[in-house]
Amino acid sequence: MILAHGNLYEDRELVPLREGLAEACVRTMAGPPLKSGVVVEACDELARRVERGDYDRLLAPFLTGLAMDPGQFQAAVGLFRRESLLYKLETELGPELVPLRRPEGGPIRRVRYPLGTLLHIAAGNVDGLPAYSVAEGLLAGNVNILKLPSMDQGASILLLKELTDLEPRLRDYVYVFDVPSTDLESLTVFARAADAVVVWGGDEAVRAARRLADPDTQVISWGHKLSFAYAVPDPPDRDLEALARHVCLTRQLLCSSCQGIFVDTTDMGAVEAVGERFFAALQAENRRHPPADLGLRARAALQVYSMELEETGPRALRSGGVSVVIAPDSRLELSPLAGNCWVKPLPRERIPAALGGKRGYLQTAGLLCPPEERAALGDLLARAGVVRVTEPGEMSRTVPGEAHDGTYPLRAYSRVVELV
Amino acid sequence: MTLRDKLFRWRDPYDLAGTEDLFAAAMAENAALQAAGCPDYRRILALRGLEDLTGVSPAALPPIPTLYFKRHVLLSVPERRLLIRATSSGTSGSMSHIGFDGATLRRGGHMVVRMARRHQLLSPRPCHYLILGYQPRRENQTAFSKTGFGFTFFAPALSRTYALVWREGGYRLDLEGLERKLLACARGGAPVRTIGFPSYTYLLLRRLEEQGVRLELPRGSLVTMGGGWKQFEGQQVEKAELYRLAETVLGIPEEGCVEFFGAVEHPILYTTCRAHHFHIPVYSRVVIRDPDTLEPLPPGRPGLVNLLTPMADSMPILSVMTDDLGVLHPGGTCPCGIAGPWLEILGRAGVRDIVTCAAGASEYLRGGERE
Repeated sequence: MILAHGNLYEDRELVPLREGLAEACVRTMAGPPLKSGVVVEACDELARRVERGDYDRLLAPFLTGLAMDPGQFQAAVGLFRRESLLYKLETELGPELVPLRRPEGGPIRRVRYPLGTLLHIAAGNVDGLPAYSVAEGLLAGNVNILKLPSMDQGASILLLKELTDLEPRLRDYVYVFDVPSTDLESLTVFARAADAVVVWGGDEAVRAARRLADPDTQVISWGHKLSFAYAVPDPPDRDLEALARHVCLTRQLLCSSCQGIFVDTTDMGAVEAVGERFFAALQAENRRHPPADLGLRARAALQVYSMELEETGPRALRSGGVSVVIAPDSRLELSPLAGNCWVKPLPRERIPAALGGKRGYLQTAGLLCPPEERAALGDLLARAGVVRVTEPGEMSRTVPGEAHDGTYPLRAYSRVVELV
Repeated sequence: MTLRDKLFRWRDPYDLAGTEDLFAAAMAENAALQAAGCPDYRRILALRGLEDLTGVSPAALPPIPTLYFKRHVLLSVPERRLLIRATSSGTSGSMSHIGFDGATLRRGGHMVVRMARRHQLLSPRPCHYLILGYQPRRENQTAFSKTGFGFTFFAPALSRTYALVWREGGYRLDLEGLERKLLACARGGAPVRTIGFPSYTYLLLRRLEEQGVRLELPRGSLVTMGGGWKQFEGQQVEKAELYRLAETVLGIPEEGCVEFFGAVEHPILYTTCRAHHFHIPVYSRVVIRDPDTLEPLPPGRPGLVNLLTPMADSMPILSVMTDDLGVLHPGGTCPCGIAGPWLEILGRAGVRDIVTCAAGASEYLRGGERE
C-alpha cells in the first residue's frame, strides 16, 4: 500500500505517484509553514485513540508479534502525547535562538527552519518506530517520505493514515511507500526528492543510504548500538536483581539491552563471584517472565552449549533457559541474547582502551555501584563514548524528551537561518 | 560381526521396537571406539563424567553440535583410512570436515539397499533419469552431484539427462532439452525418475505448467527429491502445490513423489512414506531436546533436533545436535502403516523476523564475520 496526500493507493500506482513526488514536495515546502502545534495536537489525539483502544481491531494483527511488553508499549504510545512532544520541542529546539551580534549594524535574527524533505528508511526491529520517525520529521516542519521496513506488517501505514485523517493539514507532508530495499529505482527517486536521508538500521543499511544520497543530500544515521552494565566488585543485591529484570524484560533484543557486565577488577575470583550472584538473580527473575521465543532460546542454548564443549572455553553457568558466561577478556560483544549474559573483568583505568574504537557503537551503560561512585564512573564511561548512563533497571527506559544516541533529532532535522 | 554391523544388516528397516536393545548396545560400542580413538571426544565425555561407558544410554551421550564440527577436525582413525571426504553444502559459508572409512561406507551401503527396497525404489525395470542438477565433471565434487548420480543405480539407467549441462566453459540450464526428453519418454514405455532438490523440482514443474505441458508418463514413474535439511523447512503449502504439479504436468500421482534427507554429519537415509512423513529407521534415533535445559522432551513437543546413529567408525558423529527445531511425532500417528515415530523439521533455531539492533552492531565489532 501507498499513502500519499492522505489517500491510500495500491502498490501498482507506484510509478505515477513517485513521478510527481519531487515537485509535490517542493510545492508543499513553498506553501504556508507547518506549525509544530498542529502536529502536536494531531499526534496527541492519535495517541489518545490508541490508548482508548479505538484501533485495537486494526492493530491487533500487527501487535501480536510485538517484541515488547505492555509496559514498553504504553511508554511508546506516551511518546506521542502532547506533554511529551511539547517537552521534546522545548528541549531540542529551545524557546528562541540567541541573535547573531556583529561589530557594526544591528543584531541579526536567527530562526530555525525545517531542512525540507526527509526520506526515512526505517528499521523493522521496533514496531511503531517508523511512525515515530515521521512524527519527529513533522515536528521540525518537514515533508516526510517513509520507506517501510520489509518486516513492517502494516501498522505504520495505518497509524499515519489516521494521523492525516485527524489533521488534513498534514496530508501533503506524509508519504509512505512499501517498496523493497532492492527497488533501487524507486529509492533513488525518493532520495532525489529529499534534502536528507534519515536511516535506521545496521551498517549495511547505513552504507546503502550513503550510496543513495547525492553529495548535497545529508545522511542522518541512527545506527545499531550495544549496551552493557558496569559493576563494582561487590554490587548490592537489589542492583543485580534490577539488572536481571531488565534482561528478562527486553530479552536483550534492544540497542539499550544489557549484553553483559564488566566488573571493575583484574581479579578473576571477584568476576566469578559477581557472575555467580548475577546468575542466581537471573534464574529467579526468569521464572517470573513468559519464556522468550522458542527459536531465540534454542539458538542461545546451542551457542552456550557449544562454548561449554570447547577445551579452552570460558566457564558457563547455564540452567533453565538463562546463562552467565564468565570470560577473562575485556571485549565488548553481543551476548547469545534471550537471557544469556557475559561477565568480564574491566578495571576502570582500562575503560578508555577497552572501549576505544567502538565509540560509535556504544549506547547505554547501567551502573551497579554505591551512589557516591556514580559521578566518577559515569564520567569515565561518558568519556569513553557511552551516551546514556542509567541505573541497572532503567537501561531500556523510555523517557519523553530524551536525546537519541547522543543527539537531538529535531535539531538534525532543521536548519539555523540568519535573517537581516 | 560388530553390533553396529548387525544393526545395519537388520532385515526390517523400520523395526524400532525389535532393535531397541541392539541400538543402545551398538551406540555404547561405538562410543567406546570413539573414546579410544579421538582424544577430543574422550575429553567431552569426561566433561559429562562419562569415563566409564558401560550401560550408558544413547540419550546420555553428549550431543556434539554441528557447529563444533565446523571448528574442529574430529577423527578416530588415521586419515589414510578415510575413503571419502564429504563437505556439507555450506549454506552458512563454513564447512564441516567429515570423512568416512570403509566399514562405515559398507554399513551405508546395506542401509541404502534396505531402505530403497522397502520404499520400492529398487527395480529391475530400466528407466530414464532426469537429474535436476549439475552434469558431473571431475571438478564438481559437491555431495549432491555424487548422491544424485548414486541414485541413478536404484534401477538400471536407460538414459541420464541433466538440467544443468556443461557447455562452452560453463553450466547452462537446458530446459528445452529436458522438455524434449520428457515428451519422448511419455511416448515410450519405460518409467521416468526425476532427481533434484525440492525447490528445483518445484520451479521446473511450474515452468512446464506455464508452457502448457501436460504429460502422462509411464506407470512407475517417480519424482524423487533430496537435499540438505534447509530444503524442508516450513514448505508445507509449496509441497502440496508440488504434488499437484507432478500430477498435472507429468501424470505422476502423489504417492509417486518421494523425498529423502540426510546430512554429512548424520549420513542416514531418511525416506518419506506414502503420507510424506520421515519415519525414523532402525539405524538412528531422534531425541528432541528442551532448549532451556537440553534435556530430552516427550514426543510431540518442539525442541532442538538431536540425531543419533552408531554408523560411523571414523568420527564421533554418534550423537549430533543440529541447529534445527523439530517435533518427533509419536508412533501410531501415521496412516501409512509404519508403526514408528516420524520427524518433522520446523525450521532453524534463530531470531526469526526480529532483527535486533544489538545484533546489528555486533556484526561490526566482530569485523564483519558472520556465522
